[in-house]
Amino acid sequence: MARRPANGQAPAQFALDVRGLTTSFYVGGKWFPAVRDVSFALKRHETLALVGESGCGKSMTAMSIMGLVPKDAGRVKAEAILFEGQDLARASEAKMREVRGDGISMVFQEPMTSLNPVLTIGFQVSEALRHHRGLSRRDAAARALHILDQVKIPSAKSRFNDYPHQFSGGMRQRVMIAMALACQPKILLADEPTTALDVTIQAQILELLRELKRETGMAMIFITHNLGVVAELADRVAVMYAGQIVEIAEVAELFARPTHPYTEALLRSIPRSDRDTAELYTIPGQVPPITRMPPGCKFADRCAYRLDRCQAEEQQLAPLAKAPAHAVRCWRRTEETQPEMVVVDA
Amino acid sequence: MPDPILQITDLKKHFHVRRGFPNPKTVIVRALDEISFTVRKGTAFGLVGESGCGKSTAGRCLLRLIEPDSGSVVFDGVPVLNADTTTMRALRRRMQIVFQDPYSSLNPRKRIGAALAEPLLVHGMANRAEARERVRDLLAEVGMPKEAADRFPHEFSGGQRQRIGIARALALGPDLVVADEPVSGLDVSIQSQILLLLKRLKDTHHLSFVFISHDLGVIRYFCQEMAVMYLGRIVEIGPIPDVFEEPLHPYTRTLRDASPVPDPTSKSIFTKIEGEVPSAVKPPSGCHFHPRCPHAMPVCREVYPRWTAIDARRGVACHLFDDEHGGRDPAP
Repeated sequence: MARRPANGQAPAQFALDVRGLTTSFYVGGKWFPAVRDVSFALKRHETLALVGESGCGKSMTAMSIMGLVPKDAGRVKAEAILFEGQDLARASEAKMREVRGDGISMVFQEPMTSLNPVLTIGFQVSEALRHHRGLSRRDAAARALHILDQVKIPSAKSRFNDYPHQFSGGMRQRVMIAMALACQPKILLADEPTTALDVTIQAQILELLRELKRETGMAMIFITHNLGVVAELADRVAVMYAGQIVEIAEVAELFARPTHPYTEALLRSIPRSDRDTAELYTIPGQVPPITRMPPGCKFADRCAYRLDRCQAEEQQLAPLAKAPAHAVRCWRRTEETQPEMVVVDA
Repeated sequence: MPDPILQITDLKKHFHVRRGFPNPKTVIVRALDEISFTVRKGTAFGLVGESGCGKSTAGRCLLRLIEPDSGSVVFDGVPVLNADTTTMRALRRRMQIVFQDPYSSLNPRKRIGAALAEPLLVHGMANRAEARERVRDLLAEVGMPKEAADRFPHEFSGGQRQRIGIARALALGPDLVVADEPVSGLDVSIQSQILLLLKRLKDTHHLSFVFISHDLGVIRYFCQEMAVMYLGRIVEIGPIPDVFEEPLHPYTRTLRDASPVPDPTSKSIFTKIEGEVPSAVKPPSGCHFHPRCPHAMPVCREVYPRWTAIDARRGVACHLFDDEHGGRDPAP
């Protein structure tokens, strides 16, 4: 489904243009989509947050873009994944190896499992430079040291030959970010990079990412389940549920006017540290398993505004009449006038 | 103010750990350094802090799941730490715990019904037939179908397992529940379901809680009083709205300001949160927080600040509030 500017209309404004991405997994003899028909365009210099609960397909979207879905288990299909005039959906593995860590790089949640424990951090940060830029060992090391300084590893020079286990969780995440930034990528995919960290360390890493983005002008896809982090960092937000984008809008607009019933319920389910929460809302039930997705709206059986039509018909991600940049996958909210707020009972 | 149900005084636990390769050395981890707090009947007391601050050790020590080195724990007038086996058995019935990950605390080969009936049978509170009935009631109480009794732990999602963990804690009809990060691994929508469940149970069973969490939002929602911990010590105690509205200790303020809130118009000021949490093996001299503190004074490097009671419910361990040093020191 195309909700996007017509082709040929200044595509250069996009750092990445994902169209109709569907990633399926083979479960018990059948293919089931974990990501269904996801389309979005990432503008240059923009931070787009992909937000949703576990299993909503947000990480799998990033893995699919990077071509990291294991071929024997998963099947990635897309109309197009456009990056710098190339279609990554049709790129060879050799081509993808050129792109990964150079044009697009990724930071994962758990730095300990993503860093090689038997190689020094200096080596690991230099590696991408030697591979992609063909730098000599010495030049790569000099550049790597500069980047480690940039991500504010204290006394980076003396720690250059240290191993990952000698670093704390926050410092390891800085090393991961340094590795990702080594070749000055156009796009950084950050998959829950602060989830395993304490809040004060999380704040430092978010501030670092903000700063680095300002300095390098790269675009970022930030994957998280934490709406607080989204509010801190994102320019635009795509909310995912059961493999689909159910709402996408500018960050201020999304938080001021959460329009999909799921987004709205989610925001009201968060106990807040900045004010008293008299009544905490709750979303009944749970996300349907990938093997038993209902035909219509995937959220319908948990939705307080559900009508018969919701469960029967597939919904489209459609822009709101009043705010065309704000699109919602809910016909009640896009076609009808906004219904009265219903209190979801515990 | 309700009567106290649990009084912790100077609770201390140091772990002796051998580590290092190839020449291991014994190091002392100061997990808990003389913490004191009081939980009042029917209220929830929050323990908040970052990983390694000792909040979970505190929860375990007060139940004697880990034997503390020294200090005192008085539960409803009964001293817990030197209680004999018979007294302890009676106390365990009244003090229960809910873990963060119920999966690792449920026997994977035991059906849920058997797991829930076990405490009843062990404590001789029911025969098999009564236990079966009680299990059905417990499952209903936590919002689980009665068929769950015949299933195994792996058949349930994280949220459902936490409901089972809560049912097990409730089985013996406790007065106090230590909830150790009960909603941490859960998605937002499941987290709110569990929080509402705990709140309802707190009201219907008049439960008191020691509620351990790293999430300030969860603490603010669930608790009436809280203590903030840093490197094995309590740095601030107070009633919930007060501590959030006007944090006294600079660490409490840092923690509050670093916690992201879902509101893009109130972007937190990540101004200079310095450094990382130091290791509890080698805590900094003086006030443990001084290397990261924006208000550190010379005295902070030398002396651990004594406890300053602001009023009956509020207190802080910080030289800024101690009259002997408070702000009168010339700026460094």
